[in-house]
Amino acid sequence: MKYNNLNQFKDNFSNYTELRVQENRNNHVNLTNGDVTGNVTTTNSGVSARVYKDGNWGFSSSPDINNDSISGVVKASSENVQFMNKKDDTRCGFYLPETQANNDMDFSTKKNRQTQKYWVDFIREIDGYIEHKYPELLSRNLIIGGLDMEKSLFTSDGSESYSMTPRAILYVMLSIEKDSSPISIGNPWGGLGQLEDKFLQPSDYYSEIDVLVEKLKQKANGIHANAGYKDVILDADLAGILAHEAIGHTTEADLVMGGSIAGDYMGQKVASPLVTLVDYANICNGETCPVPVYVDDEGTKSEDVVIIEKGVLKKFMHSKDSARYFKANPTGNARAYEFSDEPLIRMRNTAFVSGNHTLEEMISSIDDGYYLVKTGNGQADSTSEFMFAITMGYEIINGKLGRAIKDTTISGMAFDVLKTVNMISSDISWSSAGMCGKKQLIPVGMGGPAIKCKVNIGGR
Amino acid sequence: MDKKETVSYCLNALKKSGADKATCSINMSEKKELNVEIGEMTLLRTTFNSNMGISVIKDQKKGFISINKTDKDSIDTAVELVLGMAEGSQPDEAYDIAEQQPSQSFSKGDKSANLDKMYQSLEEFVDYVKSTYPQIQLEAAIMDFSHSKSLFQNTNGVDFAIREGIYSFSPVFLSKEGKNTSSFNYTGFSALKIDKSLHEYGTIDTLLKQSIEQLYTQNIKDKFVGQLVITPDCIGEFLGFITSDISDGKMISGTSLYKDKLNKQIAHPKLTFHSCPVSDEIDDGYFVTSDGYTAENSTILDEGILKTHLLGIYGSNKLGKNRAVNDGGAYIVDPGDKLHADIIKGIEKGVLLARFSGGRPSSNGDFSGVAKNSYYIENGEIKYPLSETMVSGNTKEMFENLDEISRDRIDFGSGILPWISFKGITVS
Repeated sequence: MKYNNLNQFKDNFSNYTELRVQENRNNHVNLTNGDVTGNVTTTNSGVSARVYKDGNWGFSSSPDINNDSISGVVKASSENVQFMNKKDDTRCGFYLPETQANNDMDFSTKKNRQTQKYWVDFIREIDGYIEHKYPELLSRNLIIGGLDMEKSLFTSDGSESYSMTPRAILYVMLSIEKDSSPISIGNPWGGLGQLEDKFLQPSDYYSEIDVLVEKLKQKANGIHANAGYKDVILDADLAGILAHEAIGHTTEADLVMGGSIAGDYMGQKVASPLVTLVDYANICNGETCPVPVYVDDEGTKSEDVVIIEKGVLKKFMHSKDSARYFKANPTGNARAYEFSDEPLIRMRNTAFVSGNHTLEEMISSIDDGYYLVKTGNGQADSTSEFMFAITMGYEIINGKLGRAIKDTTISGMAFDVLKTVNMISSDISWSSAGMCGKKQLIPVGMGGPAIKCKVNIGGR
Repeated sequence: MDKKETVSYCLNALKKSGADKATCSINMSEKKELNVEIGEMTLLRTTFNSNMGISVIKDQKKGFISINKTDKDSIDTAVELVLGMAEGSQPDEAYDIAEQQPSQSFSKGDKSANLDKMYQSLEEFVDYVKSTYPQIQLEAAIMDFSHSKSLFQNTNGVDFAIREGIYSFSPVFLSKEGKNTSSFNYTGFSALKIDKSLHEYGTIDTLLKQSIEQLYTQNIKDKFVGQLVITPDCIGEFLGFITSDISDGKMISGTSLYKDKLNKQIAHPKLTFHSCPVSDEIDDGYFVTSDGYTAENSTILDEGILKTHLLGIYGSNKLGKNRAVNDGGAYIVDPGDKLHADIIKGIEKGVLLARFSGGRPSSNGDFSGVAKNSYYIENGEIKYPLSETMVSGNTKEMFENLDEISRDRIDFGSGILPWISFKGITVS
């Protein structure tokens, strides 16, 4: 649904204006113990305009996409900014930095699109494999689905861009009963691309599902972690969520303006010299990131933001407005989720830069600690205090992996935890199944190498 | 086509194309939204949307499609697609649609926003925070008015028309003094009318005041097992641990802790709570369930005894259990005997939990998380705000070990909730 001629409306602009036509398409199939409990397609599309004048913003959106509605949202958003300016003119004379970027990026599959029936059959085949091989399981929940985000943008600065950024995910959640209580584990597969490009045949996942079931059984027989301040290895998923939740959010410039603790630390040592943390725009180590952004929704070319370099806090992520406030350059982090959403400062692909140790070396360096592998969810604070749910992990005793542990939680102050990092693995892996929530949802990539550090681990 | 003609056209097209049963709903909405960012009111949003939800059953196979266009071509395309989706799925005898009920129209709330009044309310709030709590950084605050008109029809003759207008307000804030930063906190409310200052609603003023106290936090000295007093802002999340376990997802998958517990004791007899979407006490309820039944109020727990699961049509048919008369939410917890301040006075050692930053509980109910914006209690007194403190327990055991429910409750518009204390929680 590329909209080619948004620039024809530029004569309707009287102030700084962003005009965006967007369509989000979502389809998914859910299976619960073999039954189809969801067979859903959603399409949400429309046009929005955002206008800036004298420190105020006006926004308007409409689901109709035609010349009248496009002119209408430009007019309505202009009227909204006039309403705000009439009420408060104290920011008169504020101007946004100008940016101009042009880009066309389409990650649509080149293959023929499959029907929903194909994906129902695909996921049923995977479920059939699990049911047949593991009849002892209490429950099987599988979801396969895709989200296409297609945006056409024109701004009064002269930026014009088009992007079609799809994401496809297969998620398998399995449960087993232990001592009359359910124990569960889940795993996502997928990432950038449409279903046809990410999922070729059901059997591709059988060996990884075998591993998942093995882990579930280990967890069912697992022990409670011994609570306390421990040496741990955070595997890539955990390192990624630490990078995103605990550090990334505190360095989004709007949250810095709102009082996040990172505002006090610019230019200071906030981590071990081993730590470099980057919010990648679109390419990392020569490969396309899970959520590539080339031009953001304010028409700014997206650039990598090196947040922490060798332990020193170097840079915040910016929109145009925060760049104006901090007298910095916009970094291309302003993104909106739906057509009816305004751009906010959002991370793109946030990860620690890899080091030079192997995972084996890292494990062998710990006498009493934990290797933490999977996370359920995580939250962080303006103080950088974080909490992550641990859904799979192992004890480390005398340099060797021991028993699996039951679900637990880790917490700490991220800027303190980063100072304890003394080993980083040489590999990097990404996950992109999650949605970040900050007024709006949005897909993000996060990942990294494994890192060794000290955190508080819950338990008994 | 108007809304009624659009929905009728869609249902007729589905029937002509071979659908055995179908449901079609349409919702047209407009929202006015004022945004405060970093202490300044800087954004006004006006958004319009339309949504059509089309559900179809053919040969006991089901598909669902949602689009936000209402023109004939878009509907024709959606009808063809959703029928194809259903045909490509698997049959399940549990699929069904709502039975015929008398047609009804429902209406509540204002029909349009008074934008000047909204602006004035929000401006007064911003000024109040700046003058009363100068250390507070108002990170964001959103005040909006949403107005929607909906129609819900199905091939069994269900025909409901709904008009709703509601205000909502939600501030996010923290405090900063020198290099000290408090944890951010947030709260909010919904209301059919705005008839007093925003800071007087819900717990807003209390949390603003506490935010400044939380600039200076302490860790607990030693791990202990004690009592948790959970505030109204936080208790909804814990009640949600029960209600998610009695809803379709976990019930159907068989992982619910309460799957065979109907009419059995699952919590302390002091706990009675209801789901009241159509109560006059609840401004932000709903009239019709997602399946297309008129919503009714119900008691979820009566003196600790589970009185209903929260199953929709599919879950009910799948499990051979009764369909719930609502979709849950709009919870009202019956009050206890003591004021929450008196409950705290009776606690030897514990935590006043105002925000829980924790993972979803494990399938077996084990949970742990950080006590945010929370306080240490000792010998009946609130001693100091906490940092880096974890609370952990098991949701099932926790509700069995409930201690007290406060007489004073907070009306959030979407629920009326008290302070509840629990025994046997590990604090570390």
